[in-house]
Amino acid sequence: MSGNDQGYVKRFSGKQRFEHLGVLVLFIILAVTGLSQRFSGTGWADRLVFYLGGIDRARWIHRMSGVLFALIAASHLGAVVALTMMRKIPFSMIPSKKDFRDVVVMLRYSLWLSEERPLFDRYDYRQKFEYWGLILNGMVMILSGFILYFPIFLTAFLPGETVPAAILVHRDDGFAALMIMVAWHLYSAHLRPEIFPFDSSIFTGRISRARMEREHPLEPVPSLAAGEGAQPEARKVEIPEL
Amino acid sequence: MGSRIKTAGMIGRGRAALSRLSGILLLHVLITSAAAHGAPLPSENSSCLNCHGVRTLALRLKSGEERSLYVDAERFAQSIHGKKLLCTNCHRDIKTYPHPKRTFENLRVFTLAYYENCKGCHFDNYTRSLDSVHYTVFSKGDARAPLCVDCHGAHDVAGPRDPKSRISKTCARCHEEVYTRYAGSVHGKALLHEGNVDVPVCTDCHRSHNIEDPRTASFHLRSPSLCAACHTDEALMKKYGISTHVLRSYLKDFHGKTASFSEKTRSKRSDFTVVCTDCHGVHDIVPVVDPPLTAIKTNLVRTCRKCHDSGVESVPAAWLSHYDPTPEKAPLIYAVEAFYGIFIPILVTGFVAQILLHVWRIIVNR
Repeated sequence: MSGNDQGYVKRFSGKQRFEHLGVLVLFIILAVTGLSQRFSGTGWADRLVFYLGGIDRARWIHRMSGVLFALIAASHLGAVVALTMMRKIPFSMIPSKKDFRDVVVMLRYSLWLSEERPLFDRYDYRQKFEYWGLILNGMVMILSGFILYFPIFLTAFLPGETVPAAILVHRDDGFAALMIMVAWHLYSAHLRPEIFPFDSSIFTGRISRARMEREHPLEPVPSLAAGEGAQPEARKVEIPEL
Repeated sequence: MGSRIKTAGMIGRGRAALSRLSGILLLHVLITSAAAHGAPLPSENSSCLNCHGVRTLALRLKSGEERSLYVDAERFAQSIHGKKLLCTNCHRDIKTYPHPKRTFENLRVFTLAYYENCKGCHFDNYTRSLDSVHYTVFSKGDARAPLCVDCHGAHDVAGPRDPKSRISKTCARCHEEVYTRYAGSVHGKALLHEGNVDVPVCTDCHRSHNIEDPRTASFHLRSPSLCAACHTDEALMKKYGISTHVLRSYLKDFHGKTASFSEKTRSKRSDFTVVCTDCHGVHDIVPVVDPPLTAIKTNLVRTCRKCHDSGVESVPAAWLSHYDPTPEKAPLIYAVEAFYGIFIPILVTGFVAQILLHVWRIIVNR
């Protein structure tokens, strides 16, 4: 990295950026092919499926993307569980008492009840909510998706009613996941006034030192000069001006 | 050549010997008899009937067959054209007397020769018939394919829906096996035994003039809309206590979605998906309450097996029938619907509220 990067700190690893990009692309493909199946009979959905090469190909694309999504989810969860067990990484994604306090503080601030705003660590409650939203919804979608992928095989073990139930779950939970992505993630990660229009840190892996200090004041900032893995002292925290 | 006006047997029929000279006498006889039935013929017709009103008037064809040239004046008068048309309105080629000599191979060739007579007035239906499977067969050289007169008759044309059951009986003349199955179905029984005209006859699904080949993928995939035409009609279905949700619930399901998407893109028989008729039958549709429920499930498994190899025994339980899930019938489905019915609105409202609150606070703070 060049000297220009002095103003930046590393925020995400290559693996994290890859996982984000993978989920991003797969999520869009799944949403497009999924929604057009959900809204069959309407002009745009029929046209989209037609352009994709017919319903059989649209379903194939949807299923293959689903399988890849499941693979990313499995490798991510496997790594997280293993590394956490080996105490190589901290529990930084587990919601803490502070997160719930932060929600209350933020709500009071938004409702004009106080001027105090929460100070965040490496991940704030918005990002944790979104992470767990993705993990939980992802698991529900993967499970129900596999029931719909292999209904005849699985009804040999499961009651028949699980198939229509899985259709409903897949449909509604997919919609909930889409809402979390659009109304929560896109807003809180990119579109909210503090960040608008776009936060590139998850794609480049780096974040400006200024933003890091403003948005994650409680996280110790690793110095690029000191190299990766260096654990600097916790900084004195100042309430940032907006 | 070889064909000639056959006059044998005319004498002794009571109408006196016919010849070109005795036409005037016959004219009187016919006018009187027609008037007695209250249906006077247009005056021009009567001169044709001088000859064609004789029962024995016939044409001997090359094949040895005999084609009667007799026109029953009374039946023509009662036909739908009786008061409207003159003979030469249809028989346009007849302009002189004696008529120009024509020879015909056999009876079918005779009928074919006059095939386009109806076209002059009924051009719309003539054109439609060119799109029919009957015409396709005809154009490949099969002379058995029906022409206008084969279904409608010639001089005795009546309103085709008069009564409605006549339509199915007309088709039955060639499609007897299908008719027998139809006659035993819930629709056929209602029509034939109860005179119920709510039920479909052949032409309601197959159309009348532009009859499509029902064996194609596109007909198969579009067939649910044929059933739906009546089965989504609230007023009609209410009379019989039948749910109108059948189409909606079918289209919501996997096979229904496949059908609605692939209407335009699929053509191979192997690509077909399950439509109404695959479970309910085509011509032999019976009410679902008729056989006990277990019989339906057996049918269903048999239907599934047509496409799915194995393990389908448990599948019927995955089909919730066409009715909306209730807590008693499908508790799991009902619970899932209820959960997301509450969860999603709360989620979305929460998201929208937090965005609006946040934006508002930030903007004002600035």
